[in-house]
Amino acid sequence: MTHGDWRAGLSGWLLAAPAVGAAVVFVWAPMLASIGFSFFDWSLLRRQGTWRGLDHYLATLSNPEFHLAAGNTLIYLLALLPMQVGVPLLLAFLLLRLRLERAAAAYRLLLFVPAVLSFPVAAVIWLWMFNPVFGVLNALFGALGLPPQRWLSDPDLAIWSVIAVAFWKSFGLNLLIFHAALLTIPHEVVEAARVDGAYSLKLALTIELPLISPALFFAVVTTVIIVLDEIVGAVDVLTEGGPFRMSTNLLYYLYERGFRFFQFGEAAAVAVLISCLVALVTWAQFRFGERHVHYR
Amino acid sequence: MTTKPTPLSCPTRRRLIRAGLAALAAPALLPRSALGSNARIDLVHLFSGADHPIQRLIRAFNARNTGVTVVSRQDGTTYEAITQRALSSIAAGRGPALMTTGWKLGDFARRTLGAKDFREIFGAERTAALLGRFRPQVRPLAEVGGVPIGLPWAMSTPVLYINQDLWTAAGIDPAAEPATAEQLYPMVRQLQERTGRQGLCYEVNEWLPQAFIQNAGGEVIDASGRPVMDSPEAIYGIEKFVEPHRLGLWRVLTIPEMLSAFQSGGIGVMASSSARQSGVREAARFNLRLIRMVGLEGRQRRMNSGGNFLAIYSNSREQQEAAYRFLDFVASPEGFEIWLGTGYLNVTTHPLPLPPGNEAAHAQLAEGLTSETIWPGPRGLEALTAHIDWITRIVNGSVSVAEGLRGSRRAVEALIAA
Repeated sequence: MTHGDWRAGLSGWLLAAPAVGAAVVFVWAPMLASIGFSFFDWSLLRRQGTWRGLDHYLATLSNPEFHLAAGNTLIYLLALLPMQVGVPLLLAFLLLRLRLERAAAAYRLLLFVPAVLSFPVAAVIWLWMFNPVFGVLNALFGALGLPPQRWLSDPDLAIWSVIAVAFWKSFGLNLLIFHAALLTIPHEVVEAARVDGAYSLKLALTIELPLISPALFFAVVTTVIIVLDEIVGAVDVLTEGGPFRMSTNLLYYLYERGFRFFQFGEAAAVAVLISCLVALVTWAQFRFGERHVHYR
Repeated sequence: MTTKPTPLSCPTRRRLIRAGLAALAAPALLPRSALGSNARIDLVHLFSGADHPIQRLIRAFNARNTGVTVVSRQDGTTYEAITQRALSSIAAGRGPALMTTGWKLGDFARRTLGAKDFREIFGAERTAALLGRFRPQVRPLAEVGGVPIGLPWAMSTPVLYINQDLWTAAGIDPAAEPATAEQLYPMVRQLQERTGRQGLCYEVNEWLPQAFIQNAGGEVIDASGRPVMDSPEAIYGIEKFVEPHRLGLWRVLTIPEMLSAFQSGGIGVMASSSARQSGVREAARFNLRLIRMVGLEGRQRRMNSGGNFLAIYSNSREQQEAAYRFLDFVASPEGFEIWLGTGYLNVTTHPLPLPPGNEAAHAQLAEGLTSETIWPGPRGLEALTAHIDWITRIVNGSVSVAEGLRGSRRAVEALIAA
């Protein structure tokens, strides 16, 4: 290695150092610490741990509440993923075909506004609409001759109410991503397809959709992460996981172990399990993406 | 004759430097004196509102210019939330000077968070002088294993909140004060039928059901720490608790839903903590009347209480001493009179005038109150949540009362034994 190579290498490391340092301090060190904590019972006061081995993992995996949270997480994912990807995709195609540019811009803005709100703020707005006594939803039901509902305290309804809020809150972001991706498709490609007789549905399915597949893939990956992660804010404000854990999910289960029951060792074990699950899902998504995503 | 100068009378440059360094190091090396001239302490609490009595209390204390400034820090709306936010500072050895700590978290506060033993930091005499201003029966509520760790300033009890406008519009005697559930439920039916509004709403938690269990002659956890919430008496109590739901008089709501619906005039009668009084009264746009919580026909009344205490988590002597000054003010007649505006009970020995509307809660205090259930063991908070989950299942009709209470006992037993 010449002196120049060595200097170039060093300057590269120096330039990367702040980012690497931040990642080590705020991501990797806490992750490693969590893995360590998960084998202990921690005393916050004495800053000492009692070795528990795999006890926390075994207790978590055999806990029916963990199974319920895992099942609910799957429900959230299966319900929200098609909705949060499918509906914005459809709307993006419709907006693209809207000839009035001003109307399209207004629609885009209106549909995107909920995405700007944080989950707790969105949930507070919905708390008023869901109120069974004076909420607007039951007023609407009453006007239609339907019986009033207990949106958040009915064990069969609560999870679907959270899903509705999460959908309303998040679909705007994907809409923006899809719309922007559709606008990047070269005009000549679309024109050529039309000359060859591809219109509307055929054009969308055979030309536009494959061309925006990287954006679609990005939206799927981020939606999965949002559903697994950020939805916890809505769960906390709307239902606190209730009634009787019927709307909880894995992350809320983790939050409860750590910050309501103060069982830090067990919470760390749950965090490790969730991280493994997210890593597995993301890996599967990338494997799928390699085959079906076309980068121009 | 010349005399040799003494070391003190002839300061050399070296001595001056030494003296200067010693003066600079003194604050760190010497034991800190009790209190600096301008100490600031945080009071972490869960009370919302710029004019909440806690804010008035802090303002009144700060206006006295004692050399201590109390800073209000509302870090959440539940005991768990504020505790959660204080965890990191406590772990780093810089816990808040004062934090409102729920009775149910007392064990956790002492053993895990290291809430200070008042006798250790203030001495036995000053502790006795401070706590001696509280009624003897409430002092143990802020003790863990006989160790006083807090000022037992906040005690509440369940009461009935009545929308007097709806009550009167339904043709019910405006002064009627049903003493039992059996007397209340027909009145609620009348209110619901004549006004078209929801008649009644109970809180679905562990606290209000405890009142029904106790008034039926049962207990949630007995004196030896054994869960006994599925005794025949307890089953009877919970049957009476859920009866209005079965009768169509009570549409089950979450607590925030219940509060906003009641305040908006959508519910006739609500059972909740007397401590909510200041907030509900401020928001309600109707005549509000509070009456004692109902008991059960033919059974002896035995109401429960709940609340929090002010505990000290700071390791700093200065912060602890500053906290004492504030606690001393809170426990004074002047301070506690302001605090009574919350709806909490006068648990001091001071003969203070009751704020209007607080009579029902104080009447219950005069009858004698039991404490909130203390959920024992390191998994006590989990046991509490499991019990609430079973109560919610019962209320929703997912299980029968007997099945649900049996399920609760088993779950709580397992968590206590863990």
